[in-house]
Amino acid sequence: MKDLANNTLLNIEGLTLDFLTNRGRVKALRDIAFPVRKGRILGIVGESGSGKSTVLWSILGLLAGNAQVTAGRVDYGDKNLLTLNAEGLRALRGEEISVVFQDPMTSQIPVLPYAQQMSDILYRRSMSEADKRKAAVDMLRRVGIPDPESRVDAYPHEFSGGMRQRAGIAMSMLTGPNLLLADEPTTALDVTMEAQMIDLMRGLRDDFETTIVVVSHNLGLIAEMCDDVVVMYAGEVVETGEVHDIFHNARHPYTRALLECDPARITDVSRKLPVIPGDIPDLTASLSGCIFASRCQKALPACSTTAPPLVERGTGIARCHLLEGPLADPSWPPPAEVSTVMRDTGKTLEASVKDAKPLLEVRDLNVQFRTMGAMKSRLRGVERPFVDAVLDVSLDIRPSETLALVGESGSGKTTLGRTILNLQDAAGGSVRFEGNDIRNMSERRFKPLRRDLAMMFQDPVGSLSPRKSVRALITEPLLIHGAEGRNLDFEAERLADMVRLPRGFLSRYPHELSGGQARRVGVARALALNPRLIVADEPTAGLDVSVQGEILNLMADLQEEHGLSYLIITHNLPVVRHIADRIAIMYLGRIVEEGPAAEVFARPAHPYTRALVEGVPQPDPDRRRQNTGTIKGEVPSLLRRPKGCDFATRCPLARDACREAKPEHRQIAPDHRHACLFPLRYADQQIT
Amino acid sequence: MPEDRESAGRERREKLKRFLTDWQAVTGLVLVVLFFASAIFAPWIAPYDPNAMDIPARMSGPTWVHIAGTDQLGRDTFSRILHGGRVALYIAAIGVSASLAIGLVLGMIAGYGPRWLDNLLLLAFDAVRSLPAVILALATVALTGPSLTVVLAIVILTTIPSYGRVARTATLALRHTEFILAERSLGASTSRILFQHVMPNVIGPLLILAAMEVPVVVSIEAGLSFLGIGVLPPQASWGTILNEGYLVIRDAPWMVIAGGIPLILTTLGFTFLGEALRDIFDPRMGRGR
Repeated sequence: MKDLANNTLLNIEGLTLDFLTNRGRVKALRDIAFPVRKGRILGIVGESGSGKSTVLWSILGLLAGNAQVTAGRVDYGDKNLLTLNAEGLRALRGEEISVVFQDPMTSQIPVLPYAQQMSDILYRRSMSEADKRKAAVDMLRRVGIPDPESRVDAYPHEFSGGMRQRAGIAMSMLTGPNLLLADEPTTALDVTMEAQMIDLMRGLRDDFETTIVVVSHNLGLIAEMCDDVVVMYAGEVVETGEVHDIFHNARHPYTRALLECDPARITDVSRKLPVIPGDIPDLTASLSGCIFASRCQKALPACSTTAPPLVERGTGIARCHLLEGPLADPSWPPPAEVSTVMRDTGKTLEASVKDAKPLLEVRDLNVQFRTMGAMKSRLRGVERPFVDAVLDVSLDIRPSETLALVGESGSGKTTLGRTILNLQDAAGGSVRFEGNDIRNMSERRFKPLRRDLAMMFQDPVGSLSPRKSVRALITEPLLIHGAEGRNLDFEAERLADMVRLPRGFLSRYPHELSGGQARRVGVARALALNPRLIVADEPTAGLDVSVQGEILNLMADLQEEHGLSYLIITHNLPVVRHIADRIAIMYLGRIVEEGPAAEVFARPAHPYTRALVEGVPQPDPDRRRQNTGTIKGEVPSLLRRPKGCDFATRCPLARDACREAKPEHRQIAPDHRHACLFPLRYADQQIT
Repeated sequence: MPEDRESAGRERREKLKRFLTDWQAVTGLVLVVLFFASAIFAPWIAPYDPNAMDIPARMSGPTWVHIAGTDQLGRDTFSRILHGGRVALYIAAIGVSASLAIGLVLGMIAGYGPRWLDNLLLLAFDAVRSLPAVILALATVALTGPSLTVVLAIVILTTIPSYGRVARTATLALRHTEFILAERSLGASTSRILFQHVMPNVIGPLLILAAMEVPVVVSIEAGLSFLGIGVLPPQASWGTILNEGYLVIRDAPWMVIAGGIPLILTTLGFTFLGEALRDIFDPRMGRGR
């Protein structure tokens, strides 16, 4: 480590920072120290509340007004960035240190074309406008924007999400910075785009010798992209090291637990996912000992009182009593196969009722959104003044079965879920629940069915009415559907117990809950009326890796107890693998493949399915995605639905026939359908 | 749990502290309390019967016996001002709460209901807003004759649109949020969604608006009474005191001055209070909802 000192571009030493809030002084960062080596990509990984973004912003002096740095230094060359005056910082920002933001939609100026925004970035350079424009075009070409000469005059809203992030990277690279800071650069993007971004940023690092610091909660991204890793927990650095050491030889129990919780790493198809029980400690309280002690499976009594030693090793450090000193445990860390986190021995439950009558049958369902008013479309002679958000979808869900609906953003999966629950009108087709057609039923007639069909929404906190207590929220379904003769206090406690929410939380309000707790309230509300089917929209969205296991395990337990059926809507393929019996893959409003989960993962028939399965970032630096080139571009807009197969524009195997006609759905096994003219595994055998 | 309740309490104390250290807020609060107290306790505070004539003492200037002087009939101006405050409070309390309630409901319906209903209500709001309150009152009085009820009705009608528009905008923003969709998915009726889930989230700005509307309402009442189409003589109102004083402004200026001062103080008080409340509860200033 020491001999690399002259290779260090940025060195953070003892950085300690508080936020002054009306809850008191939040000790957000405590004694952060790590070097950033020249020409490397360093990843800071941690869960929400770990302070990883705060570290990033303190480098550039872009902290919130209530932040107070109490100690430490951030050395860049011979300057300490923490004490540098505003003018000095401004000279560095943009020129030597630049930033890629999480959400390009809000970090780019909506009213200026890229040409203008990018030549503004070069305002310090004495270049002619024509040269600046040329530099902008060259950089856009380098980041993979097609036809940059004309696209440079586009506005941000004219670009798709992936292109916008590419343009964001181009803007940050335009000045040729020494250091690039990236804050969750792919979180707003789909998996297929994420792989392309990682590829792009690694390529830029090689071409321009830029050092990159990337902050993410996504272990797959860190493993694929970074050379060095810093693991943070609750405002402290718990472990640092080179990427192979972190992922293959993690020494801190937190790093180890975090890795074991990533569903992409778990290959057995047990329905239980591992969890790190507990919550991040309250950082306004006085802290002593090891910060992770309260959630650590290996914690000893001394851990919560004595600060852990800082143990150096070849490529980094770790802070843990198990590694050095009187409490050292030579058997730690155990070999990779040994599990160190809590995991119920899941009953590998096979769907018991394979051939039962379907609970829900969806046939040829179509949902359309109007793109212009009736009058306007008639005047302009537009025949179809709407787009097809859901196109000829057919699905079955049997009792006690979990069907996962997987697709990228814009695939129409959420619309489909809402249409099934009669929250959105359909244009055609049928939705049958227990044999009765319920599509477009009037709310008055549908109301009794709402007892049987419940929904969990995407945003755990945002889907709870903000001014209602948890008690009011979870008993509300009972009130709506008549709670005569029920003791609501008793019911509230029963439901809280059912979703393992401590009863004390009943008097809290949504904004006082963490994501995982709010999600439990959502589950309790969905369960209050003993439904038969729950439509869960992204049940793990907004949850940390260590918490999402708890929620999915809870959902699995409840399914077993109450014989529930689930329709799980998600873009997160690794999670689905553990909970779904069957998977349906959706693309541009159409189901392109449907089959048993294991089957779809092992032998995908549709090239899109394969791209999704292979596109899952692996939390293993040795298994970086090799074939990032196989699927290009992004989901096309619904307004420009391709004439033939919807996927033909991105499919690496597309032939002429694919661009002519929409492929029909074909049955390839009793339970396995797809919509591809040239399926991957049955290409040479004709199935009728 | 207890520490959480403690933090909520701390937040409340923090807000109170910010409120109490703001001189505008404190001044506003003092004036508003004074307004309420003087109006409610007028019969006990007032030294004289507001309508008792004392002809020998007519047109008396401010003295120790009549601290704000007397009018041309010898009635004590100070007592009449205190009793006039009762009229102002009556109109303000009933007028503001009625138009708040009606505006809130109409605004929520406009924001949540179908598009055509929204357009219809917006048109109605704009139509009402385009009518000046005083002209409308003059026209109505021409048909019905002057009375306090007409004043009240005019005040309510003309202030509904401001509440309605604020409520509509706030409801529109909530309409497509996930928690409203979640309520729909549970089968909640529209009225339940509006009154249980939308109302608590839109009422805050309306209450602040109401505090700022009080002086508007009070001055409409005073203005109409000044013009002789509000309260009927001999009943005291700040408007009638001003009117009577205006006739004798050269000989007895204290009547106009004494009638104007409470109007000014009330306006200042509610405006200061409303602004202070807005500063403290504005979500952009605080920590989210």
